[in-house]
Amino acid sequence: MHNIWIIAKKELKRYFTDFRMIIGLFLPGVLIFVLYNAMGSIINNVESLPEEGIIYVENEPEALKNLLDGTPFTIKRSDTKLSKEAALDKLQNEEIDLYIIYEEDFMQKVQNYQVDSGEVAPAVQIYYKSASTKSEQLYTTYLDALNNYETSLSNKFDINKDQNINYDVTVTSDIFQELIATILPFLLLVLLFSSTMGICAESIAGEKERGTISTLLVTPIKRSELAFGKILAISITALSSSVVTFLGVITSIPKLMGGYASGVELYHPVTIILVLFVIMMTVLLFTTILTILSTFAKSVKEASSLAVPLMMIVLFVGLMNFGIDAHANNFVLYLIPIYNVVQSLTSLFNNTINPINFLLCIISNLGYVILGVMLLTKMFKNERIIFNH
Amino acid sequence: MVEILKIDNLTKKFKLSAKQRKINKTTDTYKVALNGLHLNAYKGEIYGLLGPNGAGKTTTLRIICTLIKKDQGTILFDGINLDDKPALIREKIGFLTSELKLDDFFTPNYLCDYFGALHHMKKEEIKERKDFLFNKFGIDKFKEVKIGNLSNGMKQKVALVVSLIHDPEIIIFDEPTNGLDVIASKIVIDYLMELKAAGKTIIISTHIFSLVEKICDRIGIIFDGQMAIEDSLANLTKNETLEELFFRLYEEKGGDLNA
Ligand SMILES: Nc1ncnc2c1ncn2[C@@H]1O[C@H](COP(=O)(O)OP(=O)(O)O)[C@@H](O)[C@H]1O
Ligand SMILES: [Mg+2]
Repeated sequence: MHNIWIIAKKELKRYFTDFRMIIGLFLPGVLIFVLYNAMGSIINNVESLPEEGIIYVENEPEALKNLLDGTPFTIKRSDTKLSKEAALDKLQNEEIDLYIIYEEDFMQKVQNYQVDSGEVAPAVQIYYKSASTKSEQLYTTYLDALNNYETSLSNKFDINKDQNINYDVTVTSDIFQELIATILPFLLLVLLFSSTMGICAESIAGEKERGTISTLLVTPIKRSELAFGKILAISITALSSSVVTFLGVITSIPKLMGGYASGVELYHPVTIILVLFVIMMTVLLFTTILTILSTFAKSVKEASSLAVPLMMIVLFVGLMNFGIDAHANNFVLYLIPIYNVVQSLTSLFNNTINPINFLLCIISNLGYVILGVMLLTKMFKNERIIFNH
Repeated sequence: MVEILKIDNLTKKFKLSAKQRKINKTTDTYKVALNGLHLNAYKGEIYGLLGPNGAGKTTTLRIICTLIKKDQGTILFDGINLDDKPALIREKIGFLTSELKLDDFFTPNYLCDYFGALHHMKKEEIKERKDFLFNKFGIDKFKEVKIGNLSNGMKQKVALVVSLIHDPEIIIFDEPTNGLDVIASKIVIDYLMELKAAGKTIIISTHIFSLVEKICDRIGIIFDGQMAIEDSLANLTKNETLEELFFRLYEEKGGDLNA
């Protein structure tokens, strides 16, 4: 144990006192934070200005004309008579921000309506476009105001009740924010891989290339101790790098989603911890695989080039996930390394994670790591691998 | 004379990968690197292992240092069988090649502490040893300078110091002057003589005759993984020069100088 720590200490000193290494390890997390926050503030800037909203209302009751007084919005009404189709078109093109339809003689019906009569309540339909921040904010504001009013009447009408109608006219390709949420698992995977790659490539191949591996192996330490010491140091380093990346991401998500005060409000603390857990498992897996490659390689350069195909696989698996929701039912998918991580992260970010799948992902990755470390100690005892230059 | 190293009937085959077979233009699946090698070295001498490239010098030295495993044969180190106590032997051996390049990122001081600790030396022992070696090799002024910023000659000296930090009884040096400039190799050679004077045993491998003639007490010449002849330098060079002896043996073994 003492020997392992001597080895690990030197590696840690190497990683944590080298400016270039530090940059490579921690810049991604910081960059994500800066980048996403910059993007977030652009979105938020647009939002925070008091807006002039244009709404088109059919059968608007006189009593509700001042509903939005006291909100940051100045309301303009589009007065020209429009067909439903034309109104929705205008909403889509962001010429108007809300399209509201009251039933004819709305106020009269509301007054006559008996809540316990079993009849259908008078209805209001509000169409909006969530991809436009203005439209979405106006929608929330209007909805709030209308709900307040309704409560004062003790539930005498329904708002956007028909489940078959999509009141949000946003088309999928518009959803910038959702796109970023989809990119996150992919981005995380690539960042984690590349920062781990930087330190792993050098770790063993560097010793082989320099010939210091012989100097190490003629000391009385065991080969397994050397292997464990290396793995320990790389893991500690890669894990701390991944925590920074994680923090960068988690503090940035809310800004992107717009309006939310902090990440903790968007995701349950347990979800956040689970994400961190998946990330750490992933980093351990990457560490093991990359260290094995570094042990196979004759030089640092070769180690880096061996890692390229693996990088491709990670990219590919990450990309495969785009536009596809996580498979909740097929648990076998949660046993496939790397793929299971993408699946878990996606469903965690969607708040749809299944505990069994999550456990499978963690346990199988842990298994792969243990197998990898066993393989690594075997490799260290194999002279054909250690002295293959 | 105390026999410190006694090697009998040492054999070692390397399995060849497909790539290695292609490079060596052979269809053999194995390469016989050592083929029943004998070697005897005595305490306090400088032993020179002489042989052409590929004769098996590095392989022999690596097996002695327990870096790689032998196939067959026995190795007695100070009477102890290498198979029984590999760790014990590693504490007494210093292994060094001129190809050794220390990590650019660390200082001589740190690396000595590191390797000293791996050799289970106490802090005070390491410090004492560092003071002595740094002083001897003129590293004092540079002990806190990162290896990457040192001159090549200084790097070589630090590599020597790091490999000998634990004051080994037997020093195994593969091609000690290969790739060294004249000044660095003089420093190395002078130090080897000093180590010998201090009672250490030194085994070097080389293909340079002049180096052997200058510093070695006894010599073993190996061809194709076998010891062709082993005796004191004085005995071997009674009637012919070392070079003449070497090439005579080479041709007797079926080697063709015109090949
Ligand atoms: N790891 C290895 N794999 C295959 N062949 C090897 C390996 N190491 C050495 N050899 C072969 O064994 C023979 C002896 O090599 P070596 O001991 O390095 O010779 P020397 O040091 O005398 O030049 C050579 O033919 C070499 O090609
Ligand atoms: Mg050699």
